[in-house]
Amino acid sequence: MSEGAASSGARWQVEQVLALAPKPSSIAAAQPLAVPGRWVGTGCDLRSVWGRCTGSSAEPYECVVDHVGVAFRCSCPSRVFPCKHSLALLLLWARGQVAEGEPPAYAAAWVAKRVAAQQAEPAPVPAPTPAPVPSAEPGDAAPTAPPPPPDRDPNAGRDDRVARMFAGLAELDRWLDDRVRTGLADPALARYATWDGLAARLIDAQVGGLANRVRRLAGVVGAHPEWHQQVLSELGALHLLAVAGRQLGSLPPSLADSVAAAIGWQVRQADVLAGVPHTDHWVVMGRSDVREDRIEVRRVWLRGAASGQWAMSLSFAAYGQSLDTSLIVGSQVHADVFRYPGALGLRVLIGRQHSAPQPAAEIVGSTIAAACAQVGAAVAAEPWIERFPVCVVAAPARWGTRWVLTDDDGSLPLVEGATGVGALLACSEGRPVPVTAEWTPLGLVPLTAHLPDRAIDLGPTADPSFLAAGA
Amino acid sequence: MIEQYWREIVTVALLGTDRREPPPPPVGGLADLAADDPQPTPSQRLLQQVAGCTVVRRAGVQPGPPVPTVAPPAADARPVTPQIASSTWRRVIADWPVLEDEWVLAVLRNGRRLAPDLVPPLLGRHRTDATRHARALLAAGPLGQWMIDWSPRLACTAKQPPVVELLTSVPELPIVPELLPLLTAPAAQVARTLAAGLSSAQLGSAHKAVLVNLIARIPAASVQPVAQALDRVDSSSPSIGVAFALADLAHLRHHMLTELELA
Repeated sequence: MSEGAASSGARWQVEQVLALAPKPSSIAAAQPLAVPGRWVGTGCDLRSVWGRCTGSSAEPYECVVDHVGVAFRCSCPSRVFPCKHSLALLLLWARGQVAEGEPPAYAAAWVAKRVAAQQAEPAPVPAPTPAPVPSAEPGDAAPTAPPPPPDRDPNAGRDDRVARMFAGLAELDRWLDDRVRTGLADPALARYATWDGLAARLIDAQVGGLANRVRRLAGVVGAHPEWHQQVLSELGALHLLAVAGRQLGSLPPSLADSVAAAIGWQVRQADVLAGVPHTDHWVVMGRSDVREDRIEVRRVWLRGAASGQWAMSLSFAAYGQSLDTSLIVGSQVHADVFRYPGALGLRVLIGRQHSAPQPAAEIVGSTIAAACAQVGAAVAAEPWIERFPVCVVAAPARWGTRWVLTDDDGSLPLVEGATGVGALLACSEGRPVPVTAEWTPLGLVPLTAHLPDRAIDLGPTADPSFLAAGA
Repeated sequence: MIEQYWREIVTVALLGTDRREPPPPPVGGLADLAADDPQPTPSQRLLQQVAGCTVVRRAGVQPGPPVPTVAPPAADARPVTPQIASSTWRRVIADWPVLEDEWVLAVLRNGRRLAPDLVPPLLGRHRTDATRHARALLAAGPLGQWMIDWSPRLACTAKQPPVVELLTSVPELPIVPELLPLLTAPAAQVARTLAAGLSSAQLGSAHKAVLVNLIARIPAASVQPVAQALDRVDSSSPSIGVAFALADLAHLRHHMLTELELA
């Protein structure tokens, strides 16, 4: 499931569907049904998608989803809402496996009733919005929060969402306040439920980016002797976002975009693709896969051969799906990229490719000191970022019990236990080589060793048992 | 100064502001922040300073001192395995591990050495098998022992010594007596026999394990004709699934042997 060049119009993305699942098991139950063979009479139009699912009962379940008003109807007896049939039907539709057509009677009647009910409601009063709708953020790209579905009155939906978001941010700050008041030694922090409960409430408040960060923190508690410092730093970043998120309207536009992206708002691909493209020969510098809750997220770091600017392409895969494999580390592609709004503007969509990918030319890396300066500037622009790409010419070396990347003037530590360290040592044989890495607050994660005759992909890889074969 | 302040903040955060007041910020940006945006409660003051201090520490990332580099391993003049072979090896261990011994032997037979990125996973994968570990060390060359010196978890943990005669030959695989003649038969006959057996369903899922062993051990010259014959198995045969799998194995074996040959 890649962020391709073209927008799919009103059709949802798979991650939007997944975000509707009331619990993880709903998706697990829906996945086996999300195959055309389990459905008959499927179809969709600009308002709804419908189909009859052959289940355990004698009669197929009639299922209709209003993808504009976001409502569901299914004749199954399930009390889970939306039921697995509704989710499966949406997944089929999102994957483009439902053809357009005329709705059958059961679907047309239900949609007509909904339209009539909506028309009977008083028109909502437009209200000012606090900020432009921003992009997702490098560190918080997992699409946990459902993006606002198409609405008859976008202002009405946005007002409602802003109110929920503000309430969620206020609750987050109260929760953070409680944590520092009672202390990090509080045994409650060691319980996953402490974090998961908050994350669930943040999801409800549609600030999924923050929910992801909170869930990740749950795994840090007690994980190593310095966990208090790591957790405290992250609580600080969350506080920063909770405060900034409630002041979106008073922030400079690009900063407001970054904040909103970090807390989980998303921009429609069509809006991004309507921007000005940045054309360059984009070198695929590195790749990194990470599991975010129920989604595998692939980050592919690109660097413009002419501009030297970084860009990041994201792809997502739920269980059984495939990650984008079109961008091969060590290759370069002459292409347009469209940047999401934000202070750093790292995240991009790949637009038109002007030629087939080719092997990249020689990679130029910076010094460790220059990389520190680049990271510092990036953190100053977006203080909550969790990773930033660097390419340095450096050698892996041992400093006490830790591995570092070093050059003649300085060194930076590698993340302890990072997957690619052994392979980096073998590839470099201890000599300086160009290395692309992700800076994180815990150290560098090596992604690629750029050898004279090949690029070695060292980045963390997705669990193959989670993905579809061949992903 | 900022690190000292951060340590004090961590201490207060551990105890909680109900028990201890946050420390005053050091003169500079953090003190200005506290003065510009005063917070009413100790916990809010601490949160503000935690956020500010975190940003300062991250944005102010500085290089550590340069570290002496490690001495490289001895040179190895053998040509390295091509990049495509690394992908093939990963496919072999994921899908058809029965081919792995032959893959390593083909590296050695062609006078190559392992691509460096394969050295750690290959050594780590076989650290409990003395023979395979020793074979991997041969293919890795000086880099192999050098890696073990730096990463002892890659060392062999098996108590038994390696079987010397197996270092240069593939281990035998169980093959039923009826199929044994195919190991030495001409390629065309092997291809014909397998294709006919699978098309007529005389060979099927029950025979898959031994057929896999057979295809993994037929002479290299026979692999491609057999692969092509398996591609042509009657698609209506009940054994078509087995045929697909065996064809995949044969094609992979052919590719792995071909791409390791020296140009």
